[in-house]
Amino acid sequence: MIELSFAEIVELILKVLIFPGVAFPLLFAVIVIWFERKFLARIMLRIGPLHVGPFNRTGLLQPIADFIKLIQKEIIVPENAYKFLYNLAPILAALVASLSVAFIPYAPKPDGGYWVIFYTPLSLLVILAIFTARPFIMVGAGWASNSKYCTIGALRAALQLLAYEVPIVLSLASIVIMSRSFDLSRIIESQSSIWFIVLQPIGFIVILISMMAELSRRPFDIPVAEQELVFGWPTEYTGTQFALVMVSEYYDLCAVASLITLFFLGGWMGPAIPFIPPMLSGIIWFLLKMAIVTVVIIMGRGIYPRLRIDQLLDAGWTVLIPLATIQILITLVTAQWWLPLVGGG
Amino acid sequence: MKLSMGPQHPITGHFRFILDVDGDLVIKLDPDVGYTHRGIEKLAEKRTYPQNLPVIERTNSYCDSVGTMLGYLEAVEEVLGLEVPERGKYLRVIAAELNRIASHLYFLSLGAVATGFETMLMWTINDRELVLDLMERLSGQRITYTYPIMGGVRFDMPDGFKEEALKRLDYLGKRIEDYYTMAAKNHTFKMRMMKVGILKPSDAIRLGIVGPNLRASGVKADVRKDEPYEVYDRFDFMIPTGKNGDSYDRVGMRLKEIEQSISIVRQAVKDIPKGAFKKWAPYIVPKGEAYTRVESARGEFGYYLVGDGGIKPYRLKLSPPSFRNLIALPHLCRNVPLGDVPIIFITLDLIPMDVDR
Repeated sequence: MIELSFAEIVELILKVLIFPGVAFPLLFAVIVIWFERKFLARIMLRIGPLHVGPFNRTGLLQPIADFIKLIQKEIIVPENAYKFLYNLAPILAALVASLSVAFIPYAPKPDGGYWVIFYTPLSLLVILAIFTARPFIMVGAGWASNSKYCTIGALRAALQLLAYEVPIVLSLASIVIMSRSFDLSRIIESQSSIWFIVLQPIGFIVILISMMAELSRRPFDIPVAEQELVFGWPTEYTGTQFALVMVSEYYDLCAVASLITLFFLGGWMGPAIPFIPPMLSGIIWFLLKMAIVTVVIIMGRGIYPRLRIDQLLDAGWTVLIPLATIQILITLVTAQWWLPLVGGG
Repeated sequence: MKLSMGPQHPITGHFRFILDVDGDLVIKLDPDVGYTHRGIEKLAEKRTYPQNLPVIERTNSYCDSVGTMLGYLEAVEEVLGLEVPERGKYLRVIAAELNRIASHLYFLSLGAVATGFETMLMWTINDRELVLDLMERLSGQRITYTYPIMGGVRFDMPDGFKEEALKRLDYLGKRIEDYYTMAAKNHTFKMRMMKVGILKPSDAIRLGIVGPNLRASGVKADVRKDEPYEVYDRFDFMIPTGKNGDSYDRVGMRLKEIEQSISIVRQAVKDIPKGAFKKWAPYIVPKGEAYTRVESARGEFGYYLVGDGGIKPYRLKLSPPSFRNLIALPHLCRNVPLGDVPIIFITLDLIPMDVDR
């Protein structure tokens, strides 16, 4: 039994319930859904949500209104569905998606530790393990729905997600080479003098594209292609279950934006903001960079059509994997010159 | 695996396709039509000639109503031996070409959404409003105009229409360039559209494809040039043709045709003659028959009209372009990825109402 002091218990509750625990991804999802709708509406010369919410003509509370509407709806389970797995899959999806924030450090603490729910020196591997679980939930949901569109969508999801995990792992290899650690907080510390986006631009592009494919954001939203498969693997879900699937998507987006910030944009690194404690300013810098990454990921939906599954797999296997390998080679060859620049160590 | 796509599906409209699917590959497509059959040919036998106008218009109302009605009016006027006043003819051409622009913009929006490109959908639908507003000034309606009537058109051109039309068409001309940058030159859009659903010229002729789809395959055929009706022989325009006959050409075809239509409307509003815009037309049509064809936005629309000397037609046979083009869909959808089916279907510009009548 580990003895915890009162301050530690308060800190743990703060971490688990508010930031970066339960409340933060939920708030992120609400804000991003609203922002995405408003932002895309501007690109498309529309207005977007308008009436719901406190401020005039912003529609700020529209996602919450939508969520309330969704949980009021009846949950319809198809007659031929494999009911246990069918009902379990959305809960699992949301759970697994919200797991990854537990391992992401968001700021350094004044006492030398990190603001992270569960600290482990191998957090990178844990995150990768969590990401590997996602395609199986999708396949399970698609198969359990016992509907043709869902099955095709699930197969596409499996092909796409499994194919794009390889370039992610390969690019992360070059990051691990540079930072000499599997510890996410150490990866950030090692960027104290120069961000990895400068040292590894190829790796950054590969990760950004692969992560977009992992998230099924356009132009890679092939598993849920509306015009072909209605809604892909979650087609049959209604009400709360659909809300869970939607929220899990944005939880994943939150995790991915945090990870890209952390791997390439120096995490909480940034000039100290006056009159604000260093930990808080670290969090602010982290969130700012996260916001930029999120906007870039969202923008794909406004400016690109969707790719076809064979084109996507082609791009994954023949372009991104070789690029990631080249990045590893470049990193290995040039590491001796860059390593003195890399902090932490 | 048999996959039943539609009639409740985001892309198929009122169609149902029965697909033979092997994983992600479509082996065979079987169109199942008839969900919007209204028996317009039979309805036309029960109504008088002027009463038929709104009915015929409903063959293809929300896209190209003027283009659809012109053929019927031509047939009736041929049996009557009625000559429409010059101004009426010009106004008909203006309405038909504006409608063609609206219809092609609608097509572009659907073509974009078939690839999941929502921005283009919104942009083109937005700009279609400009044309619809213009039509509202001309005819008082936005979608179903019943603007051309026997012996001319319903209303004269309102004051200030010419200036407004020129202004809006100038803007539309600029927007076309935006569409080129946004879609036609977009690399991802090209990847999805190029080499998808290639219709060879020989196949297109053999299958009897009409309209922009035929021209996209490289065959120069347009009723407006081949057999000019109304006053189309007085305008200076060209017939664009495609090279490869793929979906990309079919989309590019519409963009080029919008440019040509803009030029025709510009010429028409500039040299429209003064005078009467309609003429009294008799209620009773003599015995006789006529076959006319017009180039509607989707292609050649054929009408066969038999009059028996009464106030109602004895028989009216419609040969709509979407019905003729439908045959290309199963032809092109053999052994294609599932993702290509919406693109092929949309770029053929098939309207279920038009197919079923």
